[in-house]
Amino acid sequence: MPAGMSRKTRSLAVGLVALSGALVTATVAGGAERPWEPPPCTRQVAPSTTSAGTWWRLDPRLRAGWLVGQRLTLGSGRDGRRTFVDLPAEAFAAGPFGGVVLVGSDDGDHSVLSLIDVPGGCATPIGASDDVIRRATLDTDGGTVLEFRVDRATRTDLGLFRRPLAADGSPERLLGPLDPDARFGPTWTTELQWSTDGRTLAMQSCGAVSCRTRIVDPAAGMVSQTVDPAHGDIVGLTEERLVVHGACGGTPCPLISVDLRDGSRTTLAEAAGQAVIATGPSDRSVVVYEQVDGARLRSIDVDGVPVGEVDRLIPNGLGLVPGAGRAGSAAELDPGVVVLGPGGRMPLEGPLTPVLWRLSDGALLPFEEVLP
Amino acid sequence: MSRPIRLRQASSGAFALLLLIAGVTSPPFAGRVSAHGPDPMLSSKLFGQDQAVSFRWRTGSEPPSAIKTAVKAAAAGIAASRRSRAATFPYASAGGSLIGYGAGATCGVNGIACFTRSAPTSFTMWLREQGRVFDWGTLRWCQMYTTAPTGCYDAETIALDEFGHVEGLGHHLNFGDDTDYLDAVVQTYSRTKAKSGWNEHALGRCDVATLQREYDVPSSATGISTCLHLDTIATLGATATAVVYGGTVGFTAGLRIAGDADYGRLANNALSGRTVKLQQRAVGTTTWSTVATMTVGTASGTYVASVKLLSSSEFRALYSASSTEGLNGDASPVLSVLVASCAGAPCLLPSPR
Repeated sequence: MPAGMSRKTRSLAVGLVALSGALVTATVAGGAERPWEPPPCTRQVAPSTTSAGTWWRLDPRLRAGWLVGQRLTLGSGRDGRRTFVDLPAEAFAAGPFGGVVLVGSDDGDHSVLSLIDVPGGCATPIGASDDVIRRATLDTDGGTVLEFRVDRATRTDLGLFRRPLAADGSPERLLGPLDPDARFGPTWTTELQWSTDGRTLAMQSCGAVSCRTRIVDPAAGMVSQTVDPAHGDIVGLTEERLVVHGACGGTPCPLISVDLRDGSRTTLAEAAGQAVIATGPSDRSVVVYEQVDGARLRSIDVDGVPVGEVDRLIPNGLGLVPGAGRAGSAAELDPGVVVLGPGGRMPLEGPLTPVLWRLSDGALLPFEEVLP
Repeated sequence: MSRPIRLRQASSGAFALLLLIAGVTSPPFAGRVSAHGPDPMLSSKLFGQDQAVSFRWRTGSEPPSAIKTAVKAAAAGIAASRRSRAATFPYASAGGSLIGYGAGATCGVNGIACFTRSAPTSFTMWLREQGRVFDWGTLRWCQMYTTAPTGCYDAETIALDEFGHVEGLGHHLNFGDDTDYLDAVVQTYSRTKAKSGWNEHALGRCDVATLQREYDVPSSATGISTCLHLDTIATLGATATAVVYGGTVGFTAGLRIAGDADYGRLANNALSGRTVKLQQRAVGTTTWSTVATMTVGTASGTYVASVKLLSSSEFRALYSASSTEGLNGDASPVLSVLVASCAGAPCLLPSPR
């Protein structure tokens, strides 16, 4: 237990350890396979700077078509190690943050947040709430968790909360609930995504098709919001631009770049598949996207200026792994690469393994090759 | 272009400014978009006319049997209600397009189903799993229950919506009060039991309208969707423009859709099986009277009638708009037929006026 915890916090932590049992001792699946039960971490979990290659993937566990839980598969490209933990039906994962995966699980009465140190092979609970924590993320120094919550009984938006990991103190609400807007309807999903410079956080709330995005700068206290029914889910955020899919409900779909300074919009591609923001040559932020037929990858500057635009044939059977919200999986990558996986996800098993596309020279590399 | 608007100060005081970038609604669809009309089109390629794009279940992500049944029913519903040459989606165990359930739906983060389309070769479709938890609550498919509960989604309706997208349809743009919701199945917001339209199992008229415009109709006799308002062109020809007293003239009318570029593949289509009337008036008068309902001609979109003439007359073919389809009426240009008024033989034909 971290030093400096108050009695209240210590009491909470004891409860969290008990609750975290639900995280790791769920059902045995598929006969011989057993869920991993990560031991408690003996020291405070902190993001590492040398953990590229850590990845996770979340899949529903179904019984006769009914969701009975979710399976979180964790992997490390460095040694090929792969394991899984079983989670309740309402659960999520975020990160990796320097080898650490943030896991949220809800048992119907409480939501629990835990950090799993994948390279270290341990886990530690970091918070709980009687509200439903739908999504959470760690800030860039790993010292604060930001949580999006809904009311347990009514499922109404409660807003975004900040919780320091090491210090005592109650969660502080950073953003209030989103105002209802008939153009967007009820909120289906809320995603949290940091900007490429790690200074601002996009909190995106999506209705059935269209999404609203609030951008939070915890340090400066500034918030901006994009409200446009033509916007779909987020691709990425830079210091100056928000990139989103159009409100299509599928692909191909336009890619839209919004200048956060004046709100002007640039259509980066009229009909694109999956897309991500990556660091391109000369350290410029670029949008990498699948062309309409899914056969080629292209990249374009995030502001739409076609300088340095390049393209590449996608190896058969692989697809660009988009953001965690879409892919239900994520991998920690070095700058300047994007990952291609079977079906656009990190793979569980099978003959196809993920590869990396290095933007600087267009080379395709095995997933393990660029690891430190 | 969006514009920045200063909104309000955050109540916590932690944030000094809330900047709202309010976008002008501009759906990412190409082509015409009107407040109420045919579904807009997605901005990409079409499948071929009457192309059978077969699908199979995605290995490892097969839907439960109740959902499979619903998806197959939706595919049949598309075929039965398309009233066009849009693609069809038969199930085949070796089908080239994949439909999955649950894991692996990378086509979107929200909604209960999504699709990818790679026309003209294939598509994918995903339906979220029963019990998936969203911010608002838990997804329930009606088909997963013996007695479908209030608030469940009908998987057949949702699959029909997705097949519509695969065809290339964008979401229908409803009136503000949604009074036209039932005009389309391809909707931004699907309804749950027991709201009106929650279990529509056939395409709506405005879905069909776009499919007809983009893929054409199967025959010249196919009814045009009432969601369209297409101009028609009626023409009239005669076997003679001058006859002797008591002579018979054969008339042939033509009826087709106008050649407007916005009409897509329907432009200039012949229209068969409609009611076209032959009208007559005496030269120098203004009142028309119907002398025949023309019968079907040998060529597509033609109608014929014969009239025995006792005096010079003017004729026109008249197609009146019907409430059962989306065609505007038209009358052909006037055709004059002169009759020689002879008291004795030989009867000389007068010169045409």
